[in-house]
Amino acid sequence: MKRGCWERAVRCGCYAAGFWVVSGAVAVVGFAVRQGAPHVTPKLLFGGVSAREALFGGAPVFDGLWPAVVGTFYLVAGAVALAAPLGLATGIYLAEFSRGRLKEVLTVFFDVLAGVPSVVVGLFGFSVSLLLHKMVSPRLGPCLLVAAFSLMILVLPYVIRATQSALEGVPQEVRITALSLGADPVQNLAWVLIPHSFRGIASGLLLAVGRCAEDTAVILLTGVVVTAGVPRSLLDPFEALPFYIYYVSTQYASPEELERGFGAALILLGVSVSLFAVAYAVRRAVGHWALYRA
Amino acid sequence: MTTVGEIHAVNPRMTCRRVNVYYGDKHAIKNVSIDIGRNEVLAMIGPSGCGKSTFLRCLNRMNDTIEGCRVTGTITLDGQDIYDPDLDVVLLRAQVGMVFQKPNPFPKSIYDNIAYGPKIHGLAQTRAELDEIVETSLRKAGLWDEVKDRLDHPGTGLSGGQQQRLCIARAIAVSPEVILMDEPCSALDPIATARIEELIHELREQYTIVIVTHSMQQAARVSQRTAFFHLGDLIEVGPTDRIFTRPRHPLTEDYITGRFG
Ligand SMILES: Nc1ncnc2c1ncn2[C@@H]1O[C@H](COP(=O)(O)OP(=O)(O)O)[C@@H](O)[C@H]1O
Ligand SMILES: [Mg+2]
Repeated sequence: MKRGCWERAVRCGCYAAGFWVVSGAVAVVGFAVRQGAPHVTPKLLFGGVSAREALFGGAPVFDGLWPAVVGTFYLVAGAVALAAPLGLATGIYLAEFSRGRLKEVLTVFFDVLAGVPSVVVGLFGFSVSLLLHKMVSPRLGPCLLVAAFSLMILVLPYVIRATQSALEGVPQEVRITALSLGADPVQNLAWVLIPHSFRGIASGLLLAVGRCAEDTAVILLTGVVVTAGVPRSLLDPFEALPFYIYYVSTQYASPEELERGFGAALILLGVSVSLFAVAYAVRRAVGHWALYRA
Repeated sequence: MTTVGEIHAVNPRMTCRRVNVYYGDKHAIKNVSIDIGRNEVLAMIGPSGCGKSTFLRCLNRMNDTIEGCRVTGTITLDGQDIYDPDLDVVLLRAQVGMVFQKPNPFPKSIYDNIAYGPKIHGLAQTRAELDEIVETSLRKAGLWDEVKDRLDHPGTGLSGGQQQRLCIARAIAVSPEVILMDEPCSALDPIATARIEELIHELREQYTIVIVTHSMQQAARVSQRTAFFHLGDLIEVGPTDRIFTRPRHPLTEDYITGRFG
């Protein structure tokens, strides 16, 4: 009798918590859609230029969000392209090759790194760009490359720890199968361990994608500007959606400008969702390929 | 503790002398000496935790993969010390194959499951040769007729018994001399079990087989020699029919009469 009560109470509590979280998320998204949807127009994206001209004609867009959309894509792609190989390799090292004390220390270190506030990472990136400016070339400064590099530092711990724990989660009997056939540790990794832990590894990368798309503090200090146009090289400053939203909502001069901010928020949401969709599709396709390739 | 019975075999395939295994401080195998004859099925029985799997893993150095595990003593395969630092464990594991308790095909096609070993050992130069190895191995494992039309299907889609035969075929594909089986039927139903036992009979012609089993009936059905382990000691070893009819050591007798286990 008493146990039944307890069980019901715990169940209700869990349901309530889940409901609360979901409804919170729905409310936020709903709010963004309601405020932003009416303002998401070609004009918001491309300003005075026609969409065709901007997309295919190379016409510069000055008063639209298109450069910020492109900048965000570049930023995410760049940061993940930097973080993925390094993070995977480090995760593999931690899970498969490092032992004992060193492994413990490194694991704690990456957990701490995951907790470093992004503004600190941004400051670090800023110092790097100052250093480049002084030591390498005065033409260098905050730019897309430095921002992507700093974001890489921000997301590296997620990728590393996700890779590590996915690999460590491979059951012992799976782990020794290929070894018993004479595979060496590298063959075992390539053939068994990585395909088996692919989902977990990909989740780490997904998390990294999301984090890169939304982070503002890092790029604020490492190269984002209000108007730059579509970046032409890695060494150019760039525009990005989260910064635009931050900028507009703190500095708006008219209600119309604030509305553009809501439109931008909705576009950022769309960009994030499409990045996630791409990442999911890749994860499915590659996961299947890794497991069943002939 | 000295082992009762005849540990020697004429013209042995493998010899083990004064083998000790430690997991950290735990002494899991205590001074075990035994020969494994050619073309014989050696059954290892004993209560759970007595070290059967541990001893089996010594025979293809799978204990190397366990952190903190230490093996001492001498084990030879065809006269060659398998713990010799110069020995290539990759080759050793091709010569001494292993089948595990739970069927564990790779989550890949049936074909790839079999082809993996030959590929890493470079046993086939052409696709045709590889096809042939796959077919022969599946035939030897008695699985060919059941799967020949769906070699590209995932191995994990087969029934438990078929999966275990697939794993046996996978081990056979690298042409081992010895096949180690660790309770290969404990996850299977009686019909699938009977099929595997039949297979063991057939394989005995070409391979030396060491099988761990918790079923004394199974040991009696498939093996010619039986070794009884207890708390890390090899208590008694001898011809299977003799062990089950006239055990010499009181612990063996207690075990086979079901007084403990
Ligand atoms: N990886 C391991 N680490 C530590 N101890 C182990 C390990 N594997 C087995 N043991 C211990 O060694 C003893 C023998 O185990 P095992 O060989 O699995 O026995 P069996 O196969 O006869 O049931 C047991 O006491 C077990 O707890
Ligand atoms: Mg066991």
